Amino acid sequence: MNSTSRLLAALALGAAGAAFAQGNPPTTAPANPATAAGQQNPSGGPMGTTGVTPESGTARTTPPTAQTSPDTSSSSSTTMAASGDTPAMRRARADRN
Amino acid sequence: MGAASGPLAALAAFLLLAFAHIPLAGAMDEAQWLARAAVAAADNRNAPFAVIDKRNARVFVFDGLGRLQASSPVLLGLARGDDSVPGIGERAMSEIRPEERTTPAGRFETEPGLNTKGEDIVWIDYDAAVSMHRVRATKKSERRLQRLASPTVADNRISYGCINVPAAFYDAYIKPVLGSRRGVVYVLPETMAARKRFAFLGRPEQGLTTRRGFSPAG
Repeated sequence: MNSTSRLLAALALGAAGAAFAQGNPPTTAPANPATAAGQQNPSGGPMGTTGVTPESGTARTTPPTAQTSPDTSSSSSTTMAASGDTPAMRRARADRN
Repeated sequence: MGAASGPLAALAAFLLLAFAHIPLAGAMDEAQWLARAAVAAADNRNAPFAVIDKRNARVFVFDGLGRLQASSPVLLGLARGDDSVPGIGERAMSEIRPEERTTPAGRFETEPGLNTKGEDIVWIDYDAAVSMHRVRATKKSERRLQRLASPTVADNRISYGCINVPAAFYDAYIKPVLGSRRGVVYVLPETMAARKRFAFLGRPEQGLTTRRGFSPAG
């Protein structure tokens, strides 16, 4: 190999190294620390929601809320068994004779 | 004494059951009057119920329509009064003073239950540990059976607050009515007017009138 070939090889290797160096460096201060610098949707949409694109305008941007059950706080505090005329017997205790 | 107590107890039980359905006229008036008012107000929810007349130391059992089914003498709390001392249900019997041994008056929603000895009872006021149960003759000196059998009322005050019923009467009338389901027991007061303890007596639609020897208005 002559000197010209060696020079070309060195230039090619340097260019390749420069190309690698121009890639996105690791993010040290991500916008959402919880996701760190892990996999993200390149379009900015949520991950794992297939069929929904950020452009659809209907994507859910707030976390789903827990399904609330009907309010039963106003109902009797007695157990189901105690709600009728045949109640669950209460703990045995001494009476006043 | 010990040999005679068995037959005596048996005789007393027989007499109590045989004559249990024959109440005193005055006592029946008051209990019947309250029973009619309770039924008229639908306070008993069409269910059988009992009325305790403390002044006459008797229990009256009524059906859901207010018809008298049976009556019997009972033993009541030693002290005269219509309230329970706060917290008395949590105290040991030895810590209860004589003046605190009251049977509370008012409307009580009863429930069947057990005491710590496994005996089936009817709770009148669970928190205050007041129940209705078969008479217990475990403490001979109290002479509970004799007190029940005697025709006088004054000696029927002996318990710590519970309502003692003759065993045969309990099994025949109390247990079928109150021993397996929730129920209502009305305990007539002895220190105040009945209307102060029973809200349904104050409703004008009841059209209550003063009964012989018994004034709902006090």
